[in-house]
Amino acid sequence: MTGQTHSNPDAAPAFSETMEITEQELAKRKEFLEFRDEDVKVLTGVNDIARRYADEVIAEFYQHLLTFDETRAFFSDETLLRRVQNMQKEYFLRLTQGSYDLAYTQNRLKIGAIHERIGLPVKSYLGMYNFYLRAVASRLIKAFAKEPERAWSVFQSLMKLTFLDIGLAIDTYIHSRERTIREQQEAIQELPTPVLPFREGMLILPIIGLIDTKRARQLTEQLLGSIRANRAKVVVMDITGVQSVDSRVANHVVQTVEAARLMGASVIIAGVSPEIAQTMVTLGIDLGRITTVGDLQSGIERAERMLGYTVTRSAPRHGAGAAE
Amino acid sequence: MRTPILKQGKLLIASVQDSMTDADLIQLRDDLVSGVRRHRSVGVIVDVTLLDVMDSFAARMLRSIAQMIKLLGAEAILVGIQPEVAFSMVQLGLTLEGTMTALDLEEGLAFFAAKEAAEAAGDDR
Repeated sequence: MTGQTHSNPDAAPAFSETMEITEQELAKRKEFLEFRDEDVKVLTGVNDIARRYADEVIAEFYQHLLTFDETRAFFSDETLLRRVQNMQKEYFLRLTQGSYDLAYTQNRLKIGAIHERIGLPVKSYLGMYNFYLRAVASRLIKAFAKEPERAWSVFQSLMKLTFLDIGLAIDTYIHSRERTIREQQEAIQELPTPVLPFREGMLILPIIGLIDTKRARQLTEQLLGSIRANRAKVVVMDITGVQSVDSRVANHVVQTVEAARLMGASVIIAGVSPEIAQTMVTLGIDLGRITTVGDLQSGIERAERMLGYTVTRSAPRHGAGAAE
Repeated sequence: MRTPILKQGKLLIASVQDSMTDADLIQLRDDLVSGVRRHRSVGVIVDVTLLDVMDSFAARMLRSIAQMIKLLGAEAILVGIQPEVAFSMVQLGLTLEGTMTALDLEEGLAFFAAKEAAEAAGDDR
């Protein structure tokens, strides 16, 4: 009852789906990190120091990256290395330039996406941020040798900002993985379900992948339509390739079987997995009305018996592994 | 409109039209039952190919036709239910328990032919 009142009225589609960060979302993230106006002030205050040390830190940073095979592999040629070094410097200076708005986050997302695309592992990404923070910390302590408190407050603000960036970068990785998963799911769902005439009056309908409500409906139309088109009397529906079904889909399948009966055809369901068997029993589906067998072979054999076919081997089988 | 009933040997064949009123269905039931008695038919085929909707009254009537005919010692088979009709019937819970069904008229005739052959073979023994 109260569930409704708790839900966010202006719930936007999940960030991971759209990859578009809103003003609101950015504010929320900053609030969570306690990144406030003081931090902006503190960071812009050290812009000149950042300028002073930028080249040194960047050089050190790439030296570090180049000592590891995993990260060195990304900087195969000199021009590329120089280009990314320039971009890195730009980012480094931007950290203290004081505009951490939507444009800033979009830029971070873009950079994150590039790293994801070239296949930089998350652990390296995080390691790079860690190296950055340590390199900067040592410079800060040097620059503010006489005011360690200031060094600490700058470092804190910087840490908040880098963690904001890290959050964005990791989101790009998650987004990309989720997109891949979604695309694969769609590919599975769009797998056509062939209806195979096996013998006169007999069809085989192999089903592979996920069955959701939409696909179940499609399947019904196809099955009932092909019973008519092929004048089938027995249909073997092989569900070996189906991992699980929900209760609505299981009911739909049972209804399809009954509809097929009204058209004068019997449906044999073959290859029921233990999970599906469990779903059906839990649902209390009347198993008396549907015929199920363990595997496709038993299904075909049962169907052949129903249609009056007998299959006999015309010649004895050659011994296993016998030479031609 | 009265549904025409054709006599074909020992069978009666009724082809249901697409615009059947409840009264028409009752008329069909009475005609079939008296027809089976008069012609001493062994089987009845009710062809519903033309029906594109089947309501609960029609389903109940068809089921009772099958049961009455069985009581008279004959057998009824319902043929030609369209795929969409079949599925919507099931969704409405009209599964016609205990009623024989076949794909179309041809299959219905084949069913009775096979039954006759089986009975003839049984008599020989």
